[in-house]
Parts: sequence; structure tokens; C-alpha cells
Amino acid sequence: MKNKILTILLLSGLITATSCTDLDLNPLSEGSSVNWYSNESEIIMALNDLYSIDFWPNYLTPYWDYDLWTDDMMYRDRTTSITNGTLNGQDVTANSWWTTIYKGIARANTILANLEKSKEKLAQSIIDKYAGEARFVRAAHYARLITYYGDVVYYTDILDLDESFTLSKTDKKTILKAIYEDYDFAASKLPVSYGSSQNLRATRGAALAMKARVALFFEDWGVARDAAKACMDLNVYELYSGYATLFLSKTKNPKELVFGNPRSALLNVTIPDTKNYLPRLAGGWGAVGPSWQLFCSYLCTDGLPIDESPLFDPQKPFQNRDPRCTATIVEFGTPWLGFRYQPHPDSLIVKNYKTGQMVSNVDNRSNAQFASFNGMLFKKGIDEDWTDDYKAENTNFIMRYADVLLMYAEAKTELDEIDQEMLDASVNKVRARAYNVAVTDKTQYPAVVAADKATVRKAVRIERRMEFALEGRRYEDIIRWKIAQKVLSKDIYGMLDPDDLREKIVNKGLWFFPQIPAIDEDGDADFETMYNAGLVKLCAVRNFPANQYLWPIPTKEILINPNLEQNPGY
Amino acid sequence: MKKKFNLLIRGALDSRIKKILMYMKLTCLVILLGVVQTFAGKSSAQTANISVNLRNVTVETVLQSVEEQTDFYFLYSRSLIDVNRKVDLQVRDVKIADLLNILFDGTTVSWGINGRQIVLLESESRSEQQQKTVSGKVTDSSGMPLPGVTVIVLGTAVGVITDINGSYSISNVPSNATLQYSFVGMKKCEVTVAGKSIVDAVLEEETFGIEEVVAIGYGTVKKNDLTGAVGQVQGESIAERQTTELSQALQGAVSGVMVSRNNSAPGSAALIRIRGITTIGESDPLIIVDGVPVDNINDINPNDVENMSVLKDAASASIYGSRAASGVILITTKRAKSGEVSLNYNAEYGFEKPTTLPEFVDVKRYMQMVNELRWNDNNNNANEYPTYTKDVIENYDALNAENPNKYPNTDWVGLILKGNAPRQSHVLNIAAGAKAIRTKASVAYDKIDALYEGRTYERITARFNNDVTITKNLSVSLDLNFKRSISEQPFYDPMYNMLISPPVYAAKWADGRVADGKNGNNIWGMMKFGGTSNVWLNQVGGKMAIDYTPIEGMKISAVVSPTLGFDKYKSFQLKNPYYSADDPTVLAGHLEGGATTNLYEYRNDNHRVTSQVLVNYLKSVGSHNFNAMAGYENYYAFNENLGASREKYELTSFPYLDLGPLEQRGNAGNALENGYRSYFGRVLYNFKNKYFLQGNIRYDGSSRFHKDYRWGAFPSFSAGWVVSEESFLKNIPAISFLKLRASWGTLGNERIGNYPYQATIAFSNALFFQSNNVVSAQTAAQTQYAIQDISWETTESIDLGVDLSFFDNRLKFTGDYYQKTTKDMLLALEIPDYIGFENPDQNTGKMDTKGWEAEISWNGKIGDVGYTISANISDFKSKMGDLGGIEFISDQINKKGSEYCEWYGYVSDGLFQTAEDLAASPKLNTAVKAGDAKYRDISGPDGVPDGQITPTYDRVLLGGSLPRYMFGSNIKLDYKNVDLSMVLQGVGKVNSRLQGTMVVPLIENWGNFPKILDGTSWSYYNTAEQNLAAKYPRFSEANKGINYAMSDYWLFNGAYLRIKNITVGYTLPLNLVQKVNLQKVRLYASASDILTFDKFPKGWDPEVAVSGYPITTSFLFGLSVTF
Repeated sequence: MKNKILTILLLSGLITATSCTDLDLNPLSEGSSVNWYSNESEIIMALNDLYSIDFWPNYLTPYWDYDLWTDDMMYRDRTTSITNGTLNGQDVTANSWWTTIYKGIARANTILANLEKSKEKLAQSIIDKYAGEARFVRAAHYARLITYYGDVVYYTDILDLDESFTLSKTDKKTILKAIYEDYDFAASKLPVSYGSSQNLRATRGAALAMKARVALFFEDWGVARDAAKACMDLNVYELYSGYATLFLSKTKNPKELVFGNPRSALLNVTIPDTKNYLPRLAGGWGAVGPSWQLFCSYLCTDGLPIDESPLFDPQKPFQNRDPRCTATIVEFGTPWLGFRYQPHPDSLIVKNYKTGQMVSNVDNRSNAQFASFNGMLFKKGIDEDWTDDYKAENTNFIMRYADVLLMYAEAKTELDEIDQEMLDASVNKVRARAYNVAVTDKTQYPAVVAADKATVRKAVRIERRMEFALEGRRYEDIIRWKIAQKVLSKDIYGMLDPDDLREKIVNKGLWFFPQIPAIDEDGDADFETMYNAGLVKLCAVRNFPANQYLWPIPTKEILINPNLEQNPGY
Repeated sequence: MKKKFNLLIRGALDSRIKKILMYMKLTCLVILLGVVQTFAGKSSAQTANISVNLRNVTVETVLQSVEEQTDFYFLYSRSLIDVNRKVDLQVRDVKIADLLNILFDGTTVSWGINGRQIVLLESESRSEQQQKTVSGKVTDSSGMPLPGVTVIVLGTAVGVITDINGSYSISNVPSNATLQYSFVGMKKCEVTVAGKSIVDAVLEEETFGIEEVVAIGYGTVKKNDLTGAVGQVQGESIAERQTTELSQALQGAVSGVMVSRNNSAPGSAALIRIRGITTIGESDPLIIVDGVPVDNINDINPNDVENMSVLKDAASASIYGSRAASGVILITTKRAKSGEVSLNYNAEYGFEKPTTLPEFVDVKRYMQMVNELRWNDNNNNANEYPTYTKDVIENYDALNAENPNKYPNTDWVGLILKGNAPRQSHVLNIAAGAKAIRTKASVAYDKIDALYEGRTYERITARFNNDVTITKNLSVSLDLNFKRSISEQPFYDPMYNMLISPPVYAAKWADGRVADGKNGNNIWGMMKFGGTSNVWLNQVGGKMAIDYTPIEGMKISAVVSPTLGFDKYKSFQLKNPYYSADDPTVLAGHLEGGATTNLYEYRNDNHRVTSQVLVNYLKSVGSHNFNAMAGYENYYAFNENLGASREKYELTSFPYLDLGPLEQRGNAGNALENGYRSYFGRVLYNFKNKYFLQGNIRYDGSSRFHKDYRWGAFPSFSAGWVVSEESFLKNIPAISFLKLRASWGTLGNERIGNYPYQATIAFSNALFFQSNNVVSAQTAAQTQYAIQDISWETTESIDLGVDLSFFDNRLKFTGDYYQKTTKDMLLALEIPDYIGFENPDQNTGKMDTKGWEAEISWNGKIGDVGYTISANISDFKSKMGDLGGIEFISDQINKKGSEYCEWYGYVSDGLFQTAEDLAASPKLNTAVKAGDAKYRDISGPDGVPDGQITPTYDRVLLGGSLPRYMFGSNIKLDYKNVDLSMVLQGVGKVNSRLQGTMVVPLIENWGNFPKILDGTSWSYYNTAEQNLAAKYPRFSEANKGINYAMSDYWLFNGAYLRIKNITVGYTLPLNLVQKVNLQKVRLYASASDILTFDKFPKGWDPEVAVSGYPITTSFLFGLSVTF
């Protein structure tokens, strides 16, 4: 009997221990969409997400730098799927851009839909401001989509799964109109600026400038001109004095910044691996650098291209050039990140300025096989911040005021509204800043003078190339100017191998350029002549078929949705 | 009833227990000590005097009193001795003999003391027959002494237990008596005394065979009674495989169980799939250890496994309903048997070597081939030496001798790989089984080194299984298990880079200092000086179960089993500078990833609690036998993670958070939980053990689904017919057993993340300018598309099976055919990316799997040679039904009509040979040249070939990617003291793909060229005939995407046959062993993964991953000692 009681006690004890687990479990460390967007701070948190750098063109991504798609940059003997003509619907970039951009759009749409529901809870002015931010972001994303992919899927609500399979492409002209509407709404509701203790979010100026960019791309010159002008008339932006320091990581939130993403090593948003851009002496690899085409595109200080200017000396190619040339590209023989930079094949040792010692010059192909293939290294935006741990925190400029000015100049030019006042208010302002002089001080810099449309157009285009090198803007420019096929069919050249170089160039006193390359009407240099003469080395062959003016829609999107049509040639 | 026999056993064990106590100290285990002390408590009372003061009590009461005061106990037969006789007895401090003389004075009862047994006998029988003491020794068939054997004088209750040497002695045995010897696991044996005073006995092992007991869910049945498809593996054959990870020991062991691994890195596990793939989601089987689900099969030491059941069909598995869709593996761990006392120590030492390693070209060929590749990419222009000049290549040996720093020739593999990697393991097993308390303890330690420096894996496992019989109606079991593994690794795994690093880069400068490698990518320097990445995994688990039998045939059990886990990860990435070749004082840079010293720590704290209440009821009415079970189970799992880091440490010797700079702090944390509640029941019925019926049902609720879609019911039925019991088969002597089986059932699956019906809001951070400062603000975003009515995926399956035995069970065959249909499959179908969310899981799609499996075995004896040969083979094919969409898995696909994970790519047409061919053919793009891969134009936007190759319209299904016809075989021989076993395993057919480091030249645009490409690739230097015969495309970096895209060009039959293991053992002769007081000593040598037959390119193991740790051959030498 005693045993039975004991047993029953034990059993009931155990059965109590086997009590029921509550099955209504909610995420412990995440929110739930069921009840999110219920108050203002939740809406702000959702909006904050749209500013994550992941959603924006992030042009200094190592190995994926957008300028590698252009004739401005080279990566030893490598090409990309865009520059060797192998782009297709499985391309990593074409896929990841598509996915990321639409994520941004879906999140902006979700916020907009929930703002509608918050009408009773929030003041209309607050709702409008937040809607302005979301619509600004949505417009920027659709603008990028139609710029790269042409006609795409367009929607402004929260997509239902079944519905999503019925969608097909919308004409890019229709989408462009909707983008204008979003930007216009944003421009009307967003503040012009934010207080010094407020987070810098989207502004009226940003909406106007971004509108100008997409209008310019689609050659909607009037809209571009008006939007750029409206942005200029806000009078809140100005060109930063000192082109070279503008891009350094220590320059935070300059007045030239219209829209961009901050980076911060402390807060874990960085350019993660900068070694490709850095000299080997400073611990980098010297792998990615400016192309000779970019180097040769900088005008001489007389405003003429190198093949026309008497000031250009192919043996001293850095002399008498637009100041942005040496601000962007490391001049030979100058100190660079603590060492003297000299790719000359006979410069076997160089000075380490930190220790005063002479060290083996590994930025020279005589000493290091993989030192810069064409002798060029980037300087723009780079300083010691890049070499301490090879992570950098430079601002991700998406739109800066110089772009607004040059867009204005370009739109006015295309509309044939050319006059000196317009040029002085735009392109000359940008050029004068480069020379660090007043725009009016025309003796100190080669100002662009009013002339016929073709001449001014050429000047403005060359100005863009000099101004925006290494900022990821060149690709869109060569696409919209329809010169991609021309400039990307030219091959990539570099210096001869050291022994050859000594024999054919150095010993004949022809270092650096043995000849002056011819520059065409688009400012593009020709090295084929030198190559045929055996004076330079072919590093890589480029190939750009005409269908690549548009990117392919990701293949799997086409395969799962028969209503979607692939872009031609993919 | 008196406690006669249980006491009898207890007493006999006593002296040995004292001995064991000594061994116990080795293990330092408190719980065990506690148990043992209850055995040992009374030993001092043995010689003490006794006092009794009892009035009007039965003789039995007096005897009890004596037993309580001493550790003597009485043996008698109630039918002979009248113990109900009332007596009065008052004695003080008397000897036991005096007391007994008083007690039985005037009766015919006589008594004798034998050790601590006191045998009471009816004097008349003694007077009639000649009585003598009989002693002897009991051994097994190999001559090993058997302790704990019960020896009974038949027809009486007189009995003893053999001691540790297998010896026994019984006094007062009638000369015509028969002795019966019995021992768990051995056949009973009877021997007539026939006047002898020494009677030895040899017990033969019981051949279980078809009479085996098989674990099924929440119970066991005789193997004969099974109606479902259940595979069996004995612990012995698992331990024989000599693997540290249990999952690896299953390879080729059971038909229908696919076990795949892709490396032999220390501590690496294998993937287990039961009866193919039935779902696209997680397909890991449910692992049940001693009735309780566990997360990872590898947490169990293979040596602790008593046996393993694999529940393959729905009828067997559906008692585990919700989580059994991918099959169930039931593991029973070893427990002590009643009367068993032993201590066994097993030590193994061995070493491992890669089965094979791929070869790459030497330094000169590398430079030549790089030049050819660049020259190809430069349109084969005038410069045939675009990267390495002719001079350098031709004079490389001289240049290398003169200036090895500038012209290195590095043997990366030789520098990094050790000749072999040592491993060792030690297992200590202790069993002590009395009738009331039975304890089995095992402690094991394994240590395996890797093939390169700085990597080791250590594991300690311990398991204590205790069974306590409290009354005949009540028993309790209390189990405790513990696991700790320590894995130390260099921060950088060198395997991949070691293979691809070409010799042209320097690992060390001539003076031995670390060099720059390729632009700082010096894998030797990174491995050696780049820091460490260590993992400590700790797990403590326990189980308490109470079994209560309220009425005959009914058992109520309650079980609570918690498992706690504490995992610690610590990665210390070290600053890794290298200095100029010419000047050790000049910092030249940092090796890849070594710019700063960083510490990353991560902790996981988790627990799982399973609790069960089960009721079992057994009843037989005439020839009708019933067995019913009903139960309730509750499961809860919780995980909490914590991460912390600091970067840019000044010092490299203090891997602790405090020592890092404050502003470089980082931290993270999250938690998740899930739970189940289940009700289940089973009825087994058979008529005359001939016709069997079984029905199961399980009703499951999961926290992963919305309240309204949470519960699912999973029924199953099965039937069996033992045809061999029918009269028409009974007289065919060749057939020993024939059973036909059929089953139908459904199973559920819901392993799709923890909150799929809710769209969770993920938090992160975004940066903003505040004036000139950068600040961080919290962000929130819905990243997942939520489908609220998401619910159970169900798999319906049928199974037809046959079990056959011939010639007295010497030849056995089991065959099964099955079909599985999965409905409402939980799939992450590809949704349009423009919807802006990740692919959500949804209930959609069907999938069918058909398969069969067969096992056959034969055992026999030729002279002194005993042998067993067994083989198994299985095959399945899974076809996707209408999924309502497509799922892409890199180069594989799931869509309607495809096989599961079928290869998906272009159809190849060889290589382009000429410019004319090129100009006339459809191409992927304008970059394609002669020597590149040629693909067939399958279709276009209008459904007909469009003259262009595109990924959108020209890719097709290329055949399944899963292995077919998986087989295994086991051969065992024994001859006298020598035993030999061999395991074969293989795959009959599989579409394998040549990829990555196997065939791609200049991988990552700097890596070495696989040697198999040399002379077999298309080249401008070849003649047209040579090019026609070329196996591989021309070297190109720019066109890699074209040439190595997924196509049937790269598929080949990856079938293989492998000798998994050969073990030879030798058991030392008994007389030798006994001289040093041991019971058994066995020496053995074992070799695993020794020989493989396959069509893989030279240097590649058929099981190995393209990059990563190799499969190794291991050689082991072991010693097993039983005390």
C-alpha cells in the first residue's frame, strides 16, 4: 500500500512536470509585421531602413567598382562581364541590383500603404513628410531600374503573391512620368534642410537633383534644366573649396553633398577592403587604377586636350594639367602614403618618408611582377585612413552639387540655351573650384566660353569626366551619350615589361609616353598606334556588343513569369 | 514472495563490488559512488553476532531479521520448508550457527552455509540420497569465464551465482541432481551431476536472429512481429567502424539509408537521408535516443550504442508523426544487465592520410600556361609571353637558385600538410548489475589531429544509465549523459588555397621568414600566424523515467528529459605582418586579413525539455494478442545567442574582450524558441502470432503554425502475415520463416524556420549625418513575405515487404518496395524578385518518390572458420509533381517533371574547332572563340531556336544529381582466436560534375593549373587532330563563364566502390590472460577507406568536396582489456 501511494505521488509529480508548453510563441528578438507601423517611432524606424547604404549605388565596392565597367579604370589584365561582352541574365550584378532595388521599392510601398492607415493617428503634415521620404526613395529606385534595365515591372502598392505573377513590363516612359510625380511630391513636402541635431534625411534639394539626373538620362532636357535650376535656387548647397580634400574620409557632410550615405568605421559601415587601390609599398596591391584613357582625358591648363596643347610633354605627362589630374591620379616621384611613388623601371629603391630609409620599390614592375600594369594609381579620396586597417569610411556621394551644376549646363546646352552667364553659373564654377580660384578670375583657369552647341557639349562632357572620375558616374554617362560601344571596344594598354621598357622607351629617353596619343571628339585617347609600333603592351581586350546598352532582366524572373519579356539579345 | 533470488544475486556480487569500487575512483563519479555504497554498506556485518528478540512470529520473519542484520541470505523452497511455523526467539550476540540450531531445533530442517548463502534443506531428502558439494567453472564458447551465471539445482530452489572467475560451488547436491545454468544472452544449459564433484559448463550465445527484439516508437516488439519496414544495426557493428562520429558509421550499414560525407576533417559529420528525399526542405531524420528526441546524432558516442533501429516506412514512423517525414532513427544505449559485472578498457591509436590528393603543374608549366591563357584572351596577338618573359621561364631554375626570393618555387602542399595525422581514443566501460540496481557507466575520450598544424579535435563523452527496481510494480531509470568537444583550428583553413597556390609565389623568404605569397595571400603564413578559431561545445542531458504496473499487463510510464547546451566560440584573428625580403626591418605589408588583431566571441545557450506520459497494455485472450499504447508528449526548445567582439588589439597574446580598444566594441544577441504538443496511440493485434495488424495515430500541434492551422493528425496502418506458420509451408524444411508485410501511413513536416506564418520585422542600423557627425539609427523592415495559413506538409507512403529465412535462419532476405507522395510541400518557391521579399515557404507542390531496397545475409561455418556475409542495396528516384512554380538551387533545379535537385544547364556540342564553325553556329555571346565550349540552341523567345544561346531559353534538365543504387556489404570471418571483418560500400550510378579546382585553369585568376589539363586542353599550339581529341576547352579567363557554365559536358558517372574498413582482431589465449587476472584481451588493427574504384580524375576522391579537407585513409591499432 505504501508503495502504491509513493508511486501515485511520483507519477503525479512527473505528470505535473510534463506540463504543456504554450504553442502561441512569438519572435523573441524580432518584431512582427502584424502590429508594426502602429506609431510614429515605428514608422521612423521603417523609414530609416531605406537609408541603409545597401540600397544605394555603392561605387567603391572593391572588385565590383562601377568604374570597372567603363574606360576610366583598369584592373590589371581583367575585364568584367560588361567589358568583355559576356553579360547575361545570370550575371551577379544584374541579379543583385534588381533584387536589392525592388526590396527598397517594396519597403517604401509598405510604408506608404501603412501611412494611409495612420490618418487618424498622425497629423497630415507628418504623414506628408514621411510619405515624401518614401516616395523620394521609390523614385530613386525606379529611376535606377529604368536607367539600367529599360522597361521594368512597375507597382506602387504591396504586391500579393498571385498578383505578382500576372505582372509584365511597363514602358519606361510611363514609369518616368510616375518618377517625376514622386520626386515632385517629395520636393513639395520635404524640408530644405535639417537642424544640426537632426538626422540628415532626404531633402527638397535631393529630390530635385535626382529628378534632374533621371530626366537628363532620358534626354528630357527641359525637365532636367528646371529641376537642376530649382535645386540651385534653393541656395543651400555650395561647392566645397578644395577638390582634393572633398573626397577624403575626414570630410564629413560638406555643403556640396546633396544626397549620400555616411560611412563610419566605428559604426561598422566601411569600404571593406581597400588594398586593390593602394600602392604595394603601403601594403596594398596596386591592382586597380586609372586607365591611360582617363589620364589622357584631363585637359592641359590652357583648356586644350593633350594632343592639341603645346603645354603637354609626353615625358612629363603630369605637368600643366588640370589640377584634378594629380588630385585623382598619383603623380610619379611624389610622396604617396609615406613612400615615394615611382613606377619607373630603374627606380629600384625609394624613400620611406616615415623612417627615412630607402626601401625596395615594390611599386615598380622590375621588382614586383604585379605592380600597377600601366604605372597609374588612384589618389582621389585616399589617405592614411585607408592603410591602417585597409578599411575606409569615405562618404558615399550619390549626388553632389557639382553634378547639379554640370547637369544644368548640359541640359541648357542641349536645349541650345547657351550663354556665358549660364556657363559661368555652372561649368565654370566647377572648373574654377578645381583650380581653387574664383569663377570670375578667368586668367587663373581656362574657362569654358560660349560657343556653338557641339563645342560646348564637348567641353561639358569632358568636364564631367574630369570631375567625377572614380565616383561611379562614368558608366551612365557613356550609356546615355551612346558612346559605350565605341569607348569600350578599345583595348586596355599598359607599360611594356621591364626589360622591353628599358630598351624601347627608357633608354631612348621616351619615358613615360613615347608618343602623344591622339584624342578624339569625345575626349578619348588612342593607343592603338603606339601598340602597333610595339611601344606599349596590350593588357586586355574589350568587347561591348550593342545589346548591352540595356542590362538583361534576371533569367529566373523570365523563367517563372511568362508575362515578362527578356531584353533583346539575352 | 520473498526476495530470494534478487538477494542471492546481490550477495554474490558483493566481493566483486569492492573490487569495482577501486575502478570507480578512476571515473570520480559521485552518482555512481552513491549507488555502489548501497551495495557495500553491510559487508562488515558478515562476521558480527546477531541478536533477535521476537515473539509469536513466523520462521520467515526470523529469517528476514537475520538477513537485515547480516549480509547472509537464505535459500529454500517453500514447498519443502515450513516457514510459516510460529516461534518465539530471544537470543543475544550469538553466532549465526547457534541461532539456526535453536530455530530449527526439533524439525527436519537442516542447513548449510555456503559463502553468504544459507541453504535450508529438508533433512529427510539429505538422508535419503548421498549429498556432496559440487563445484565447477562456467565459460562461454570461446573459453571466457562467465561471471554472474545462475546455477540452480533443478527441482529445488538451491542456487548460486558464479563469481568473477566463472567459478561456483554448491554444497549438499544430490548425486543424481541436474544443474541448470542460465545467463542473459546465453542459451540455458542443463548438466547432470552424475556423481561428479566438478561440473564445468559451457554456455552458448543465444542466436537472436529472427527472435530479436526491435525498438519501435515508444516500445519494442519481437522482430517476428514487425509489420513495418524497420532496419536494424547492432551496436557492435557500429563500434567496429572505428569512427568518432556516429553518422559516419552508418554508411552502407542499412539499406535505404543514404549517408554522404565530403571530408574527413576531425569531428566532421555526415549527412543522413532515409529512403531518399521526400521534401525540398530539411530532410534530416528524427533522432530518438532512449525514447527522447535529440538535435544531433553525433552527440552520442558510437561505443555507447546498444542498437539502432531505422524506422523507414510511414507505418513505423508515424507514431512520431510531425517530425518523422524524413524517417526516424531510434538509438538505444547500453544498459547493465542483471548479474553483469565488468570493466572494459579499450584504447586505440592510429593515423590518417589523404586517400589521394590532386596534382597541379610545376612552376615552369604554370608560367607557360598562364602566358597561353593571357595570349588567348588577347586575341592571340604577336606577344606570346604576355605575363612571364621567355627568359624567365627558360632560366627559372638558375634564377631560382640565384634569387629564390624573387623567383620562388614553393611546394605549398609539402609545406602545409603533415605526412599523417595521429588520432587516439580511450573508452572505459563499467557495468554492475544487481537485480535491484543496475548501472552502466561509460567514459570515452577521443583526440584527432588534422593533416595540418594547429588543428585538433577532442571529445569527451560520458553516459551513466541506472535502472532501479523499487518493487515488482515500480521501477525507475535515471540516466545522465555529458558531452564536451573542443575543436581548435587556425583562423584560416589552408586546404583550398594550399591546392590552388601556384609555386611561383613565395611562402618563406630564403632566410625562413614569412614571405608575401600572392599579394599577401600566403596561406602557409596565414595558417601558421593568422590566429585561431576555437569551439567548445558542452552538453548535459538527463532522463528520469518511472514505470508503474498497476495491474498485470499494464505499464504507465512518465518521462522527463532535459538537455542543456552551452557552446562557446572564440576567434582570435592576429595581426600578421611580413617584412621585406631584403631587409627584415622594413615592414612590407600584412598577410591577407592580418591588418589588425581582432577578437570575436560567440556563445549559445540552449535547452530542450521533452516530457512524456505513456500507457502500455498487453493482453492475450486465447489466441488473440493485444498490445495497446497511448501517450502524450510535450517538447520545448529554446536558444539564446550572444556575440561580442573588439578589433584592433594592440597585443596579440590576450584573447579577452577587456584588452581591446573600447571604441572597437561590437555585440549582438538574439533568441528563439519552439514547441510541440502531441497525443498518440497504437494498437497491435495478432492472431496466433500468424496474422498481425497494427494501427497508429498521432495528433500534433506545433508552435510554428498559426493557431487555426496548427494541429495535424497522422494515421497509419500495417499488416503482416507469417506465411511460414501456415500448414502448407510448415513441412518445407528449407524455409524457416516467411512473412509478408504491407503498410500505409502519413507523416508530417514543419521544419521551416520558427515563425513562418508571421512576417517578422528585422532590426538593423543605418547611418545618418548629424551636422558633421555620423550617427547610427535603428531600422526596422519586413524582409519575409508571410503566408498566414501555412500548415503541415504531409507525406503519404505505402510499403510492401517480405522477410524470408532459409536453412535454419542461415540465409536471410528482406526486401521492400515503397512509394511516397508528399503533398502541400513546404517550399521556398522562386517568387518574382520584384515583389521585394525573400522567397517564402508555402504549402504547395507534390513530389513522388519510388524506391526499393533489399538485404541478404548468409552465415555458416567451415571447419573452425565461422563466417557471415551480408549485403544491402537500395535505390530511389524522386520526381517533382506540380509545384506551382520553380525552385532554383544554383545549377540544379526543382520544377514539375524534374527529379529532385536535377542538374540544369546547356546541352554541349563539344568544343568549337574552327572559325568557320564558330561563325556558323549560335553562341552565348560575341566573345566566344574557337576552343571554347559549344552549346546547342534549344529554343528562343518564340519557342523555336533563335540562333543564339541564352540562359533563358537554352538550358534544359540534364539528369538527377543524387546517387542511385547505393550498396554496402559486410563480411565477417572468425577462426579460433582470430577475427576478421570487411565492409564495402559504394554507389552504382551518379551524375557527378567536374568543376572548380578539378578542371578550371588559373582558378580565381591566379591559382594553379590542374595537372590533368596539361596536354589534354584545346590549344593554338596543337594540331587540328590534337584539338579534335582535346578533353578540355582552351585556357581563358575572360570566357570562364562560357566554358565552365553548367552543361552536360562536365557530367560523368561518379559511381564508386570503396573498401570502407578492414579489421583484424586477435584474442589472447585464455590461460595466458588469466595468469595476470584478466578476463579477456583482444588486439586489433583496422584500416578505413583504403581502396576505391571510380572514374574520378586522378587525385580526386569520389566523396570529397571540390574544395576543403580531404577524405582520409585511417589506420588504427587497438587494445581491448576486460577485467
